[in-house]
Amino acid sequence: MNGLRAIALILIFLLCALFIYVAEDIPVFGDPNAPPIKSVELLTVKGDQIVSLLDKHIVPENLSEALVKRGFPPPSRVEKIAGIEGEWNAFIAKEEPHYAKEEKYYWIKEEGDRVKVSRYAFVIRWIEKGLEETAVPNMVTYGLADYRGYDTLGETSVIFTAGVSVILLLRRRSRL
Amino acid sequence: MRNGGERNIVVETVSRVMIPFIQLFALYVIIHGAGGPGGGFQGGVVFASAFILYVIAFNLAGGRERFPESVNTILSSLGLYIYAGIGLLAIIFSLGMAQYLNYGFIPFTSRFEENRALGMDFVEIGIGITVMAITASIFFDLAQKDAEEKEEEGEGSRSWNGSSQKSSPNTTIGSSSSS
Repeated sequence: MNGLRAIALILIFLLCALFIYVAEDIPVFGDPNAPPIKSVELLTVKGDQIVSLLDKHIVPENLSEALVKRGFPPPSRVEKIAGIEGEWNAFIAKEEPHYAKEEKYYWIKEEGDRVKVSRYAFVIRWIEKGLEETAVPNMVTYGLADYRGYDTLGETSVIFTAGVSVILLLRRRSRL
Repeated sequence: MRNGGERNIVVETVSRVMIPFIQLFALYVIIHGAGGPGGGFQGGVVFASAFILYVIAFNLAGGRERFPESVNTILSSLGLYIYAGIGLLAIIFSLGMAQYLNYGFIPFTSRFEENRALGMDFVEIGIGITVMAITASIFFDLAQKDAEEKEEEGEGSRSWNGSSQKSSPNTTIGSSSSS
């Protein structure tokens, strides 16, 4: 019986250490290298004047045409990312039917004579890349168990804690 | 639970037929959490509902015999340990990159994506075990508390009657002293 108690104590300390590690390991809110904030590559556009047009804050026509052809809303405004050469942010205006406020939407990067267009949103990564990245067709499950695995670990431990507290309250061997 | 209540043949027969299918459906829901609607939480609750149906249709003591308290307690923490252990395996196999809960590094198969899918399945099984055991544990505890209180009430009334009868032992003591 004493040995069983010692094993239980060791297991509890192990789990506690693991949970402290988890709390330390969760990505910081707004961390630019966190997986949800990484962008999804959409397409590459070729053209000579694109870079000069982008530098003049004008959206090139062939770029917005290529985006519309693939079913994405065309950007209304382009701004250079401060401090980085050859990278731009493309914004979507309020007037677009599904975007109530202006938001940063595309990330454009110069690569040689081409221009790579990527998309910022986490939702798009979730929907479009999930099957490719996890080989699971159910969007809810890979969200719950993989991308938000820490959250689900916490939920399971909450349920476990609820059960343990019910046991402590109701299962009293010796009467007071 | 049903002390002295008459047995209902219909309820007992229907639950005897249904319980295996409910448990099978619960396992189906847990295993198919990756491919269809379902998952650990739902499957665990469905599995626990089979025990609850058994207790309602038959009796509490029989339910506890089928699912003993020690097994229940061990299972309730085992699921959580499976989940955390899969995360620990991911740390070990990622070889210094410390990718907690990134199932892709655990070498179940040769492909990274397949590993993630399989790791998700194991995690779902862990969640299912914990939820099943905890739901059953809470139900059994509440039912036992209720049964004990009823018993206590019965004993109390009996003991009260006994004390009213015990008012007579004075005469027995008196008789013993007299003898």
